[in-house]
Amino acid sequence: MRKKDLFLMANQNLWRRKARTILTCLGVIIGTASIVVMISLGIGLRISMEQSMAQWGSLNIINVHPGMQWDESGNPTGEEKRMTDETVAELAAIPGVTAVSPQYNIDGEAKLGRKEGYLNIVGLDPAVMGELEFSVEHGRLLAPEDRFAIIAGSQVINNFWDERAARRGGMMMDGPQQQDPAELLDQRIQLTIRNQAGNERKQNFFVVGILDEKNMDRSWQVYASIHDVKRLRDFMMKGANNTGQMGPMAKEVMYSGSGMMVASTVKDSPSRGSRKDDRSNDYDSIMVRAKDVAQTKEVSQELRDRGFNAWSMADSLKDIENVSRTMQAILGGIGGITLFVAALGITNTMVMSIYERTREIGIMKVIGASFADVRSIFLTEAALIGLFGGIIGLGFSYGASQVVNKIGADYIQQGMMMGGPAANISVIPAWLAAFAVVFSIFIGLAAGLYPASRAIKVSPIVAIRNE
Amino acid sequence: MSPKPILQAKNIIKKYRMGTQVVSVLNSINLDVYPGEVVSLLGKSGCGKTTFLNIAAGLERPTKGEIIIDGHLLNKISESKMSVFRRKYIGFVFQLYNLIPSMNALENAILPLVFEGIPAREREQKGRELLKTMGLGDRLGHKPSEMSGGQRQRISLARAIINNPRIIFADEPTGNLDSRTTKEILDLLISTLRKNGQTLLMVTHDQEVARHGDRIIEMADGKIIGEKVM
Repeated sequence: MRKKDLFLMANQNLWRRKARTILTCLGVIIGTASIVVMISLGIGLRISMEQSMAQWGSLNIINVHPGMQWDESGNPTGEEKRMTDETVAELAAIPGVTAVSPQYNIDGEAKLGRKEGYLNIVGLDPAVMGELEFSVEHGRLLAPEDRFAIIAGSQVINNFWDERAARRGGMMMDGPQQQDPAELLDQRIQLTIRNQAGNERKQNFFVVGILDEKNMDRSWQVYASIHDVKRLRDFMMKGANNTGQMGPMAKEVMYSGSGMMVASTVKDSPSRGSRKDDRSNDYDSIMVRAKDVAQTKEVSQELRDRGFNAWSMADSLKDIENVSRTMQAILGGIGGITLFVAALGITNTMVMSIYERTREIGIMKVIGASFADVRSIFLTEAALIGLFGGIIGLGFSYGASQVVNKIGADYIQQGMMMGGPAANISVIPAWLAAFAVVFSIFIGLAAGLYPASRAIKVSPIVAIRNE
Repeated sequence: MSPKPILQAKNIIKKYRMGTQVVSVLNSINLDVYPGEVVSLLGKSGCGKTTFLNIAAGLERPTKGEIIIDGHLLNKISESKMSVFRRKYIGFVFQLYNLIPSMNALENAILPLVFEGIPAREREQKGRELLKTMGLGDRLGHKPSEMSGGQRQRISLARAIINNPRIIFADEPTGNLDSRTTKEILDLLISTLRKNGQTLLMVTHDQEVARHGDRIIEMADGKIIGEKVM
């Protein structure tokens, strides 16, 4: 029997009982649609999370902080790790790490022409800034020979405000005004720092570059050579050394991005200068760049295994992936049950159809339909129900997906101040569409196995008996 | 008469178990049918003639005995291969026509060719021509339910001979037809067979019908009780 004849005959047979076929298809339609929509929600969730995380910061950067790791009940889990040049070398030697830079942070009041504000300065190794995924929108990156040069995050300009102009303008402006980041380029910013002894030092910085807006976690800081920052930091520490007291900066609590509170105890070494474990020169943190997201997760885990306090965006990505996978499994499972019920519907329909067509099957066998022909006819009918249901179900899924996205987009736009197109909640990639149709055909075939084997067993004699 | 029979039935015995009792339907039937012959199997209802026909056509297995068609021993052909065998060697005509109600005249007539795997254009042309010679040229698109008994049986005849089988089995082919149509159908059937040199084994309870054959085999109680050459 030819394939074409087989399909034509199966198709004809199906539409002899339109209502029943449509109802059976409906089961498959609902099943397919629910599976596709459910899985598409899981996929959409992951994609939108990835998108927004890529906006927040690079997925390949790991920040390593000193301080202990704490377990859930608040007990320290191991020795505190120090951040020294040896540490830098140790981290650089981990496989998958492509760049490492130690980091000092200082901050202070600052002036930009008439405008006043403050600066968070991060000192890094200028040689590896490019590799640490810094990229400028205006100007250039730092060069190793730069002295007191900075590149500024895109939002740094908004740290400065003109008090007098604001007063003149009266109450016209409420809230911070957005300013063009490019205005900062080639400007001189004067930083004022004080040490514990009350001495004051003013230092001019020259802005050589403005970071692009890609990484939101870097947009409020300025970046300078670690040597310059070290000198200013030494000045600030001096007073502390002289008085021997713990200054206000001695105990600093940093809020790290993962939501963990990390007690940074670098600067409160009580026996400063007297013993070998003088920690005043320890780095505040170390920035590590891994080759790709997969490596980032591995390196990040490796660092934690070694007792470091490491955090990266990619770690959260892992959590999100887990959540989305679990969601997909649960949602897909619900859809799967629906489709299973639909499969029972197909089987039921086909078995009924065999009862109705017993005589017809018998005649076909008498005039030369082989076992294979009879089996093929019934399997094809069942598979066609799956195919029709699958295709229509997929169509419904696209519709439902659009509705969900439309409703979802309205909610998201209400809830978020941030611009940019809202990510889709439900995403149906091509592979999911193909999978849905193939799977529903498969379901049809599987559901048709039992009826087809029954059809084969129909005895031609019984079927054609003259009664 | 050709020396080699196309159908040989050797000592066919068929028994059924009815509850605890064993009913003997066929008692040692021996029959040879030669190519081109028209043989009538005459007997009263319940004499076992239909059972014999079914066994001879490979639709049922005998309890004992052998059936040989065109040199092939049917006992050795498996159930799954039997359909293909029937498609090649055997045509069927039934009392109740046994057409497929959802298919029109043409589709019914060419159904064996569909299973044979003949391309649509070729088989439809063949079917059209055959039905035309049977006087159904203008009813090709009609469903069986829209046709008279005689017309239905013509479709059934066309279906039986469309793939040129060596032997045709007919079970009371005119049992549901009036006497005028009966004659028409039988004349058509036998003339067509004669033209193609095909063989017919026809079961009937009607003496008149049986008389159309070259030979009449009379059956009673599962046994052959007489033979008459016309």
